[in-house]
Amino acid sequence: MITRYLNNQWIKVKETWWVFVNELRRVFRDPGVVVIFFVATLAYPILYNFIYWKDNVENVPVAVVDMSASQESRAFLHKWSASPDIKITHYCTSMAEAEQLMRAQKIHGIIYFPSDFAQCLNTGMKSAHISLYCDMSSFLYMKAVYLSCNRVMLEDMSRIQVDRYQAMGMDKKFSWMLVQAAPYTETALFCESGGYASFLIPAVLMLILHQTLFFGICMLAGTAREENNELYLLPGRRRRSSVLRIALGRSAAYFLIYYALGALVLLGVPRLFGLPHIGDPVLVLKLLVPYLLAVIYFSMSVSVFTRNRESGMVVLISSSLIFLFIAGVSWPQQMLPDAWRYLSYFFPYTWGVHGFLHINSMGATLETTAKEYIALWILAGGYFLLTCLHLFIGGYLHDKKINAEYLRERRRNLKLQTI
Amino acid sequence: MKEIFRNIWKVSRREIGRMLLRPLYLFASIGVMALCTFFFLSIMKRGAPQRMPVAVVDKDQSSISRRLCHETNATQSVQIALITPNFADARLAMQRGEVFGILEIPEGFYADIVSFKQPTLHFYVNNAYTVGANTAYKQLLTMCNLTSGAFQREVLRKKGLPDHLIMERIQPIAISAHLIANPWGNYAIYLVSTILPGILALIVLMLTIFAIGFELKMKTSNEWLEVAGGNYTVAMIGKLIPYTIIYIVLGISCNVILFRFLHFPVMGSSGRMMLAIVMLVFAMESMAITIIGALPTLRDAISIGALYGMLGFSLSGFTYPVMNMLSVFKAWTWLIPLRHYYKIYVNEALMNGPIENTIIPMLSLAGFFLFTLLVNRRLHDAMIYNNYPLK
Repeated sequence: MITRYLNNQWIKVKETWWVFVNELRRVFRDPGVVVIFFVATLAYPILYNFIYWKDNVENVPVAVVDMSASQESRAFLHKWSASPDIKITHYCTSMAEAEQLMRAQKIHGIIYFPSDFAQCLNTGMKSAHISLYCDMSSFLYMKAVYLSCNRVMLEDMSRIQVDRYQAMGMDKKFSWMLVQAAPYTETALFCESGGYASFLIPAVLMLILHQTLFFGICMLAGTAREENNELYLLPGRRRRSSVLRIALGRSAAYFLIYYALGALVLLGVPRLFGLPHIGDPVLVLKLLVPYLLAVIYFSMSVSVFTRNRESGMVVLISSSLIFLFIAGVSWPQQMLPDAWRYLSYFFPYTWGVHGFLHINSMGATLETTAKEYIALWILAGGYFLLTCLHLFIGGYLHDKKINAEYLRERRRNLKLQTI
Repeated sequence: MKEIFRNIWKVSRREIGRMLLRPLYLFASIGVMALCTFFFLSIMKRGAPQRMPVAVVDKDQSSISRRLCHETNATQSVQIALITPNFADARLAMQRGEVFGILEIPEGFYADIVSFKQPTLHFYVNNAYTVGANTAYKQLLTMCNLTSGAFQREVLRKKGLPDHLIMERIQPIAISAHLIANPWGNYAIYLVSTILPGILALIVLMLTIFAIGFELKMKTSNEWLEVAGGNYTVAMIGKLIPYTIIYIVLGISCNVILFRFLHFPVMGSSGRMMLAIVMLVFAMESMAITIIGALPTLRDAISIGALYGMLGFSLSGFTYPVMNMLSVFKAWTWLIPLRHYYKIYVNEALMNGPIENTIIPMLSLAGFFLFTLLVNRRLHDAMIYNNYPLK
């Protein structure tokens, strides 16, 4: 009795193994899937790193309109031009001239000193004003121009304040104490460079893993559908009872491939390209387990709807951008309308990317990022059940069809016999 | 001549039938575009990031530190999500992604500041989330500067200076920033007006590759050519007309929504913006024909198209300026239609610049048509002989 039971179980294990090996064979024999799984997963991170090679925006060309033409304005410009963010390329004699340059996109910022600039500073009766015109075609221009100018302004301001208090008869030390009553330090706690690449690429790495896996699985399912290879989807005599074996066997194949790829990409790329990687590599590998499982079962659940090999990619290509934005990386999660935020909780990417950023870029422990980690396991479980349900329905319909055919056949045979 | 037009019409009619037979075409074009428009506009409807959560480490717990908290919380761009006496707690909250910035008020801040001992404030931002961090950074920087300013004001008042003289002493220089064409720093204007045309471009690319490649894959291309009277050009034009109409309607309605209904700024001519999106559709169709012509196997063309199409967003330079890219990518951007569209957008919508800055990208978009001439022969042969591995 027990031996028979064990024997049965052993057969099931062997069948699962067969599904697993068969799936691996399908992946490696399909050049399209190999390209998506291996080439895209490895090439994209490298390509993106080279596109965003310089990380921070530097040397943004700006023009100067100095109507004050004073020592003070020159001193200001001298300090500003030392900043790596900007580069003064044009000195204009009028605002109209600078405007022409801006309209022609030769420059991305204008600084304007009014003619009473020095006078205001020296007489101390009015605040001196500087006007800054920023090109908004890319916010990175604006950030570079505005923040660097602001920094120079703040520095200059303290010096002028001290001068004035001294003029009022305070001594120098006291003036400094008054001006710097509460000095401050600013620290970028994580991602010190504050650059675009070090913020975006870690998030993109997770997205690349997600999307290549997603499209690859859709492609495999679509191909199977096209070839009408129902044995592939559901081996065994009674399809619906073999759901577990198929779900486990197939996902194990994807998991095996992607665990290696994922480890390579998530651990290798940040180290190779000098992106933030202050986290513990072991934790990244731990997070990768539920993330990949969730993505695999998510993709398997969705892939049921792809009728063709290519249709998944055609329809879902723009999903990459939606995933990126709904996850709250490019655009803060707090700014998402509630409905979208709740929807985003159903996507493995949302949790995966935050978990990865917390661990990799911010050095969090698994306890700190427990919310994401647990959510990924829940999603993995949920989508696993959904995958099983889909397979079961598919198997049920298939069995019904086969049975009906079988019955029809038998009836015909009986009829023949009676005749 | 009449014959040609009749054939074009016949091919188009056949195509409309095919289009309606498979839900994919309409869903992937109209459905996806509508969804994306709704999605991106709704997530950025508030424009600039507001009320970004920050933590305050209040080691002082005095009336002044509490006032600093209140005043920070009263600003539009940040809100205090956590007040704690312990820095480790705040750091943990930041690691959990709950706050984007931390303001640390040192112990004895009140006592020190009134006795001129210059207590130091510290603030920290988390650049791993750049948009939130920038917002928090600007606000915390302002708050720290205002703290010294407020103290000076109190001292100077005690010394008997009138308020108008105090102000110019506290702030001897001021920067007035003018953000051209987008004075609110609105992210929707900045991002959506390029993302949506970009998505349209991607849809055009993928669907055109699919529509042509599917004929090759299913070996229906001979029938298609027959309907066109054996004329390759007629077959192409006839096939693409129904799709092109859909894409152009989508593109123009997208720009109408942005520039007319939502009043995104257009400093120049909105007519030229409409023309630009039409040209973008044509350029993407040309690129699609080039890709499927170069690789007349649907699966390869789709994969390459996807790789090329997704890079368009990065290489168009609307987030990360092309100016800062390596020169090999600067050259590559010329092959990205979205890049030219973005140039027209900047020139027409934001800058109202010289007309040549619109004409050159417009001609570049038209130039994409030339690529199709390279593959005409190859694609024609593929249609006749089905001579490529068609799986």
